[in-house]
Amino acid sequence: MPASPFDGLRRDLAAAGANPATTPWGELTRAGPGRETGSADVLEPPLRHVCVGEPEAWNSDVAFLDGSQHVELVGHVGTDPLVAAVVRAAVRERSGRRLQVREELSRRVVVARPHVLDRLATTITGHDCIALDASVPPHPLHDLDRAHAAIDRARAALEVEVSRSYRTGRDNWLIADGTLAVSPEWATDRRMVGVVKSHGALPFEGTDLDTYLTIPAGHRSSVFVVSGGGRPPLHAWGLRLRAWEGHDLFHGLVRVEVAAGNADAGGADLLSRRLLAERSPLATGPRSDRLLYGIHDVDRYLRVRGAAT
Amino acid sequence: MTLLGRVVATELRPSTPHQFSFWTAPHAPLGIGSIVRVDGDERVVYGVVTEAFAYSDLARPLDAVIGADGDPGREDDAPTSRPEIRLWTAAVLRQLPEEPLQPVPFGGVAAASDADVRVALRMDAYMQPDKSTGLPIGVYAAGGLSAPVFLDADFLLGPEAAHLNITGVSGLATKTSAVTFMLSSIFQTFPAEKGSVAAVCFNVKGPDLCFLDQPAPLGDADLALWRRLGLEPAPFPDMTLYAPFKADGVNLNTLRSNAALADTVQPLVWGLREILDYAEVVLNRDDVDAKADALIDFLAERVVGRQFEALELRGAPFEVLSFADLEEFFRAIFDHLETSRGGEVWRTHHVATIRKIRNRLGNIATRSKGLVTDDGVANDLPWGAFRDRSLTVIDVAGVDPLAQDLVFARVISRLREHLERRDLGVDHVVVFVDELNKYAPADGPDTYVRKMLLDLSERGRYLGLVLFSAQQFRSQVIRRVTGNAGTTIYGRMDTDELALPAYSTLSPAVKAKLAALPKGELLLRHPHFTQPVFVRFPRPAALSGREGVERFPPSPDLPFAEAVVQRLRALTPGIIADQVRAVIDGRPEAEVRRALSATVRRRPDDPFAFFRAWVRRTIPSESPEPRRGIAPLASDDDDPFAPY
Ligand SMILES: Nc1ncnc2c1ncn2[C@@H]1O[C@H](COP(=O)(O)OP(=O)(O)OP(=O)(O)O)[C@@H](O)[C@H]1O
Ligand SMILES: [Mg+2]
Repeated sequence: MPASPFDGLRRDLAAAGANPATTPWGELTRAGPGRETGSADVLEPPLRHVCVGEPEAWNSDVAFLDGSQHVELVGHVGTDPLVAAVVRAAVRERSGRRLQVREELSRRVVVARPHVLDRLATTITGHDCIALDASVPPHPLHDLDRAHAAIDRARAALEVEVSRSYRTGRDNWLIADGTLAVSPEWATDRRMVGVVKSHGALPFEGTDLDTYLTIPAGHRSSVFVVSGGGRPPLHAWGLRLRAWEGHDLFHGLVRVEVAAGNADAGGADLLSRRLLAERSPLATGPRSDRLLYGIHDVDRYLRVRGAAT
Repeated sequence: MTLLGRVVATELRPSTPHQFSFWTAPHAPLGIGSIVRVDGDERVVYGVVTEAFAYSDLARPLDAVIGADGDPGREDDAPTSRPEIRLWTAAVLRQLPEEPLQPVPFGGVAAASDADVRVALRMDAYMQPDKSTGLPIGVYAAGGLSAPVFLDADFLLGPEAAHLNITGVSGLATKTSAVTFMLSSIFQTFPAEKGSVAAVCFNVKGPDLCFLDQPAPLGDADLALWRRLGLEPAPFPDMTLYAPFKADGVNLNTLRSNAALADTVQPLVWGLREILDYAEVVLNRDDVDAKADALIDFLAERVVGRQFEALELRGAPFEVLSFADLEEFFRAIFDHLETSRGGEVWRTHHVATIRKIRNRLGNIATRSKGLVTDDGVANDLPWGAFRDRSLTVIDVAGVDPLAQDLVFARVISRLREHLERRDLGVDHVVVFVDELNKYAPADGPDTYVRKMLLDLSERGRYLGLVLFSAQQFRSQVIRRVTGNAGTTIYGRMDTDELALPAYSTLSPAVKAKLAALPKGELLLRHPHFTQPVFVRFPRPAALSGREGVERFPPSPDLPFAEAVVQRLRALTPGIIADQVRAVIDGRPEAEVRRALSATVRRRPDDPFAFFRAWVRRTIPSESPEPRRGIAPLASDDDDPFAPY
């Protein structure tokens, strides 16, 4: 790392008992969509750090699930945009240390204001059409954001669909990239784990938040409840995959989610140990500090499949 | 045909008309040198693997360290193993259709079958069922396959191209063995309609080529390989070995001196006439000026082998048949010039020129003792009577380099003359010169022998005179000789040699393979093959030199009388030693040698009687003549013209 004009300041910080960080600005974890904090119910009060023990291999085949989207602005009708995307989702199962694709789905999607879709009805056959709410006044940039959000939802729906196909006849553990809150089906699947890398919405505030953000490597937080929006509640905990000291607060931090009642304290420890084992081999790419290799593998697979359907 | 891989091409690593990449599973049965087939849309491409790569998705070595927490032992604990690739590069051997020439298509890749190998190497062009000029050289073996590989006789023995050169390190490259095997293959498969063929091999090292008519025990693998190539594992049925005598003139200068093999060993003996014709060989420096030339011509045309009258020298005419006669003649000239007021010139030849030529020729006689006779009667190769599929080995391993040059020059020149006149007895002759770097060095004096080898390599193919040559370091041989070889073979190679620019067309992987090539494997370039291919050949079915001397230990040198008895006994087994001794007792050795050589040459019905009569013909003069021969002149170090 090149010398920084603030190296001296960092030394002083350390001397003053603070935690100096060296993560470049561009690599910092920045807030995603939600920015709220909350006060989740803690199932193992008070909120504290729990050492989970040594990493431990899964005792059976596990599978990883992820989705991807390839989005393009394809044109305008008048000044209203037409956005198209290929969304994909896949499950890759590991057996004998090798990952192989088990299920895979893709869709072509177009998103636009309803009058645009009507105008182009004969042109866009073979695509799933998503209409934007026409009651919102047109704004070319806002419309693009809304289109993107719609595509995100379409991808999430496809992920649920692919997990459903995978589930038929199998009860392997399935590790998904992101929250289980996207679907009641996932939120109640007793063999699913969601590994959430983004921390826009934080479950605590005050000293509990301090506790949550300073989980040491190889430790988890107490289990807490994630609920709201009328979804089935989830049980979750923070897990620190790698030491954060010297980095930003979120380095190596993931939120692990399971169906409510699916993990008591012992179960949370065991799942945590298994996830710790997944740190190796090291995945390369953005957020490699908290990216499990299996998820990285599915993601890469989807990327290589590209925009083709 | 099982699919092994698939062609991949990226912007950075595109397919071209002559090269492509493909990937396979990690355990695909392929290696450097494997021949593969790509089936694309309406296009089949054959290629040979020249480079191989393996890598995983690891972006930086540091990621491996971090992933394993710094403990190499933990890498195996990772629940997922990284995907690996085997990426291969292949050079195109052939595309079908050949036109238009296009980049290799993105097809599936399979290992080549026997039939594929035939097409890939364009052997189908010269190997039709009804008409084939294919000569088996070995099998291409890869991935459990073994396909015979053939050379085109028209491109190995002329007239389209010719000559073979093989390079590789001592003892491991199996150079001599490969040439021996190839000669067997030629003798067994050279098509009859192409005419007759013989081989003349110069044995330049120990017993190397001395036992090629003796069967060698072969293991099952080698026997199977001979058969796979459609050949009979047999030694050369018709071999004659020629060797000069040692300085004593009776014991042969060869390691094939075991009495059990005596009947296929012939002395190589030349007289003054034979040598004078090739005087150039040893007079090939600045000293062959017009004056020296004139004197040699004068000797060759007017003096040697005829009655030469020179009353100013002596009353009786000279009859110069041997070196001894020539020396007598020269002495007469010098005496004449000293005593008379003739001064410095005799018949337009200056005394200095005469002295120089006398020294040169004397030098030959001294350094080639055993090759050169006293009596002017030669025993030579069967010029005009070479037999089809006969192998003639000329053993010059034990003789002086000057004599070696003389033998090379004369034998090759005579072969050339006879082939030009079409009266050699055969239509094609393969000449094998081992250790070519000694005779045609890249740098060093432009000797007669070097010029002759160059000429042979440049013009021989039109005459049916073909050069097979071997050397450890190709870079040490004059480029035009190796460059003219249509077929080039490499055995195990020296790494320093491979680092030379001359080998830059070989991929690093091919070089690495060459540097560790097992015995019996070769890399082969042939005009029909677009790329060099690896082949394996069997051990020769004839005894190697080392095995030969173990099986047939050389006889120790015999004392003069014993040697004479032995040689006569080869003609009449019943001869009584004491009777021979009685005949030769007290006679000068030179005279006995003459009688012996006459007897051997004439092969009379009663050899002993003939021999005795010949010895008796010479009446001992009253004062026993001083031993004839030439005073040694070799140590004439001050002579600035001495070529050696
Ligand atoms: N086809 C073969 N397979 C395996 N080994 C072989 C084969 N042919 C020859 N050999 C062995 O290799 C050894 C060397 O062979 P050879 O004398 O032909 O090598 P070379 O290259 O001519 O060596 P040098 O440069 O010393 O003359 C011999 O001992 C022989 O037994
Ligand atoms: Mg050799």
